[in-house]
Amino acid sequence: MATETNKKASGRKSAWLVLVGLVLANLLVGVFLAPRQVGLHHTPFIQLPNFLAPVGVPGEWLPPHVTFTWVVMGILVVFGWAVGRGLRAVPGPLQNFAEVVVEGFYGLLDQMIGRQGRQFLPLVGTAGLFILTSNLLANIPGLQPPTANWNTTVALAVTVFISYNYFGIRKHGLANYLKHFCGPIWWLAPLMFPIEFIGHLARPVSLSIRLFGNIFGEESVVTILLGLSWLVMPYLIWLGVMLPLSLFTAAVQTFVFIMLTMVYIAGAVEEGHAEEHH
Amino acid sequence: MPDEPSFLRQLARLSTIGISLVAATAIGLAMGYGLDWLLGTKPWLTMVFALFGIAAGFLNLFRDVGLIGPPRR
Repeated sequence: MATETNKKASGRKSAWLVLVGLVLANLLVGVFLAPRQVGLHHTPFIQLPNFLAPVGVPGEWLPPHVTFTWVVMGILVVFGWAVGRGLRAVPGPLQNFAEVVVEGFYGLLDQMIGRQGRQFLPLVGTAGLFILTSNLLANIPGLQPPTANWNTTVALAVTVFISYNYFGIRKHGLANYLKHFCGPIWWLAPLMFPIEFIGHLARPVSLSIRLFGNIFGEESVVTILLGLSWLVMPYLIWLGVMLPLSLFTAAVQTFVFIMLTMVYIAGAVEEGHAEEHH
Repeated sequence: MPDEPSFLRQLARLSTIGISLVAATAIGLAMGYGLDWLLGTKPWLTMVFALFGIAAGFLNLFRDVGLIGPPRR
């Protein structure tokens, strides 16, 4: 009995020791490495020389968001290749994971768009995985999320905007799709059309600004905290508050982005427009 | 279409309203300003399109909140 409690106590003590050791090691890394490597305004960990200079891209180095977009692309391509190479009837751990991800996207598409939803998996899945990976990149010191730059998120949002309009036109034809913009009452159409048009144009703006703003803001706060990490307290705040928070933000922002993409696609390809013009 | 809007779907929709209200107004204003610059009708199109933008912003707002039945969901 006594030995058991002793063992338990010593086990607890060693657990505490491990925890304290981890925090100390983390702190040392934070104090000595983080200020130089983390943050939007410091040199990032990975840099590529500007080999696009002959084409007219300015600067000595490639812009970091481009570099890290390629990093994210590399991660996703290698992951997809590794999964696709060893497909089996009885899935291994990697294939299991990939299946869970794809099933999750299928579930969302079925729920949001309905039975014609699964054909949009390439767009929605790619956007979701790209945004999630790059948001999570923010939590590794020395790496920058490409979504913390407005250019990246605008590219994503414009892709979504053009895609959902294209899906709608493909589904209903140009005339019917435009008629849908004009509202239910015909003599209000000259008034409704510009309003709807501006409303649609506001969608990519709000999509891109939301994603960029959240990730950039979080990244800026983390930069400042880690830049002050020799004061210890900011580092602990980062560890205890900002790190869990930014993991949460990464997931939520990804989710909101693909959710809105699916809402827009669902609105564009929705069946039974004709019944509304009564 | 699903029967009832799920919590997540509502979250996604409601999180747009703050930005899309402003974005629609700004886009309307910018369109009017650009058209004025092109056509040389200095103050008029800016005013009209700013009003369109404000109307679009509030239309989006009311649709997202659910006060108006949305023509598309």
